[in-house]
Amino acid sequence: MLYRLATPVVGDEVVEIRVLQWHGDAGAAFAPGELVVELETHKALIEVRAGQAGVLRRIFAPDGAWIRVGEPFAVFSDGHDEPMGDDSAAEAAFLADFVID
Amino acid sequence: MSTEMPRMFFREAIARAIAEAMRADPRVLVLGQDVGAFGGAYREFDGLYAEFGAERVRDTPVAEAATMGVGVGAAAAGWRPVVSITYMDFVMLALDPLVNYGAKLRYKTAGRLTAPVVVKTTAGARGQGVAHSQCLESWLMSVPGLKVVAPSNPADAYGLMRSALRANGPVVFVDHKRLYPIPGDGPAPDTEVPIGKGRIARHGADLTLTTHSFMVHTSLQAAVILAEEGISVEVIDLRSLAPLDVDLIQASVSRTGALLTVEEGQVTCGVGAEVAARLRERGAAFAGARMGAIAAPVSSNPVLEAVAIPNAERVARAVRLLLRTRDSGHVDAGGGELSAL
Repeated sequence: MLYRLATPVVGDEVVEIRVLQWHGDAGAAFAPGELVVELETHKALIEVRAGQAGVLRRIFAPDGAWIRVGEPFAVFSDGHDEPMGDDSAAEAAFLADFVID
Repeated sequence: MSTEMPRMFFREAIARAIAEAMRADPRVLVLGQDVGAFGGAYREFDGLYAEFGAERVRDTPVAEAATMGVGVGAAAAGWRPVVSITYMDFVMLALDPLVNYGAKLRYKTAGRLTAPVVVKTTAGARGQGVAHSQCLESWLMSVPGLKVVAPSNPADAYGLMRSALRANGPVVFVDHKRLYPIPGDGPAPDTEVPIGKGRIARHGADLTLTTHSFMVHTSLQAAVILAEEGISVEVIDLRSLAPLDVDLIQASVSRTGALLTVEEGQVTCGVGAEVAARLRERGAAFAGARMGAIAAPVSSNPVLEAVAIPNAERVARAVRLLLRTRDSGHVDAGGGELSAL
């Protein structure tokens, strides 16, 4: 199964977040509790940790990129070799949310 | 030679402008509460303490009058301090050294001394109640010798802070709590926004709306609402309140024939009152109205806070009312006052 990674909701006035650093490339497997990516708001760092086991398959927003709150910015799957759709983030919007801690 | 800087947070534009000035000029200092290792209440001084140390980035006690006094005195002695007053409400405590000494020093010494101090302060409502929410920038506009700027986005914050740091007299740099979460495209490096120049934030034909700081965003939202109804609003971001870019506003009003001024502060003796009066003195004919906070303290209760200050829907309503009144012929150019309600 494929999942989308969306930003956590971080207060009603924050509309854009910056990706500070990914802690794995496409293909990396994460166990529950492992740090996936660090995000930066205007005043805080947010650690996004895996809430389920999964494989990071595609990153839409690399280090330094800006994402809108709630927008999917990566795709996960349960296993390494599940077939992926095309590259579009729009398609990812229809996936289930990857559970984060 | 100059390439665009990346998109950035509002705080980063301020920190960058100050850091560049500190690298270029050893006389530039920062004074204020939590400006040191903490990096500023909004992280707008992030990185300065690490790079320049405690000698040049000085934490001060909760004593605004003393901090401003030290800043103005240091400026008179040849330094170029940035004095951070976290909340604009507490500029009140520091008005004596700023107004009676800083703003008057050049005059009193026949030009031999100046006080090139930049006062960086944050205005506006965001859940912090009666004494941490006020927009008092219009109080300062009437002080001879004082310049007042109020950017609405990171690029202008960078450009105006650069200009303020090079000005030969006190400049009050007013921003807003709600600007900090809004990132924006970075400015071209080394670009200054000249003090005294406004900017057309949105072109339009039916009405001129002048505003500044966070209310630029609110007004642009209102312009979008109105565009769907066929009403075309020209939004002017004043950027500089003292001096005001009257030429820019006049040129716009001469096209539209209607003026709505929008501010988060009080309308009485407010920014909009000054804009309207300056235009009238130049003989401009227009239907005009002012919009600002209701004449009441701003509550920390979010419902009451929202009621007290303009929002996009109320700005849109004010535009409709003004144009309808003008077109019905009841008021040819009467100055109306529209509170947030």
